Amino acid sequence: MRANVLDYSHVDDRCADVENTRSDKELSLKEFVDIILEVSTLLLESGAHCERINRNVQRIAQKTNYKVEMLISFTAVSVSVTDMGNEENIVTANKKIIHHGVHFGILTNTSLLTWELAEDRISLQELHQRIKRLKDTSRYSVWLVRLFIGIACGSLCLLAGGNLIDGAFAFVASFVGLAVRQEMIKRKFNLMVIVICSAFVTTTISGLNILSGFGYSPQTSIATSVLFLIPGVPLINSIIDLLEGYIPTGIARGAFGGFILLCIAVGMFISMTIIGINNF
Amino acid sequence: MLIDILKDALLSFFVAIGFALLFETPKKGLLVAGLLGGLGHAIRFTLLYFDFGLISATLSGTVVIGLLGIYCAHKIHTPPVVFTLPACITMIPGLYAYKTMLGCIRIYEEGTTGAKTAFLLHDTVYNFILTSSLLFSLAIGICIAALLFRKKSVKKIKKIKDLGIKIF
Repeated sequence: MRANVLDYSHVDDRCADVENTRSDKELSLKEFVDIILEVSTLLLESGAHCERINRNVQRIAQKTNYKVEMLISFTAVSVSVTDMGNEENIVTANKKIIHHGVHFGILTNTSLLTWELAEDRISLQELHQRIKRLKDTSRYSVWLVRLFIGIACGSLCLLAGGNLIDGAFAFVASFVGLAVRQEMIKRKFNLMVIVICSAFVTTTISGLNILSGFGYSPQTSIATSVLFLIPGVPLINSIIDLLEGYIPTGIARGAFGGFILLCIAVGMFISMTIIGINNF
Repeated sequence: MLIDILKDALLSFFVAIGFALLFETPKKGLLVAGLLGGLGHAIRFTLLYFDFGLISATLSGTVVIGLLGIYCAHKIHTPPVVFTLPACITMIPGLYAYKTMLGCIRIYEEGTTGAKTAFLLHDTVYNFILTSSLLFSLAIGICIAALLFRKKSVKKIKKIKDLGIKIF
């Protein structure tokens, strides 16, 4: 991300001949590129679709004398910034995406910050400071999330036509499955291995429903307890990107989501083979 | 009937809240996500009761969520996707995705000479088409604001006039 190899020495004399006295005056081109890269990778890593990233970045760029063109791919973001005061000054820089998670809190706060900038309530420097702090935005407590995901999958089971016993099986299965996933993410396993293991544990627990024969329709508890693993955000973002014209990123997100779905199927298949649910 | 609709809305309220927590929706958006999820799923349930067809019922539910999302985004000052996505997740075609996957496993187990091979292939493809169309209608509902209104940002959408259609 640090584009140190580029020579920025010519940037300093830019401020002298730009008569525009706006907030960008003390900000060098390099710092501006840093802000843009930071914002766009942060958004992409917390599950924003491409048009939202572009909108946020253009909102920042409106306030300055720079023109921003960006290429948003699935694995990296590339930005070219042109100084409109002196069009010889162009910087292109890339930044790699570390992981693809979902964090709508970061997404909301970034959007609010860029709007505050657009309405002249904060300066560009202040935005830079606060964007850096956004990475540590607090998360909900893991136990709260596990409990509510359990309730959510239990409710999905009831919606799909199971009775309360099926719902209880789905609750326990998704509760434990999510715990497995979160603990494995903490220990930095490969994402696909995490999904397979989590789907395996979840299906094994809800498969006990078929083996024991307590429930009314045991299939629904198996089908709904793994739903917390479904990559809803990548899949829906994929279609939004396709609708809005970011075809390559849309296809990449679709492939990512599809591969996670395949891993869920592998985990479920292993579990079903081991406990011998053949009459599913 | 009314009791059924209310029960459906209550259950999907909890589904939406659970997924909103998983996606780290800010606190002020949680309740909105739950309410929109309940409303959208109840609309789908009602339309299904009147034989509307699964895909059109789902599309109606998500479009209502997407349009109400514009209003709520102005009220609580968040981007709409933060709560419309968990709300739409309540209608995610999990059961059909599961059936598609089981169909693939069964096709493998039947081999090429099994008696049910032709039916299995048809069933699996049908479930796959249903899954992807339902997913597509969820996405349409979520970005309905960007599709219908010509403004790029939801914050700019303030009046019906922004729809760009001259009624009178």
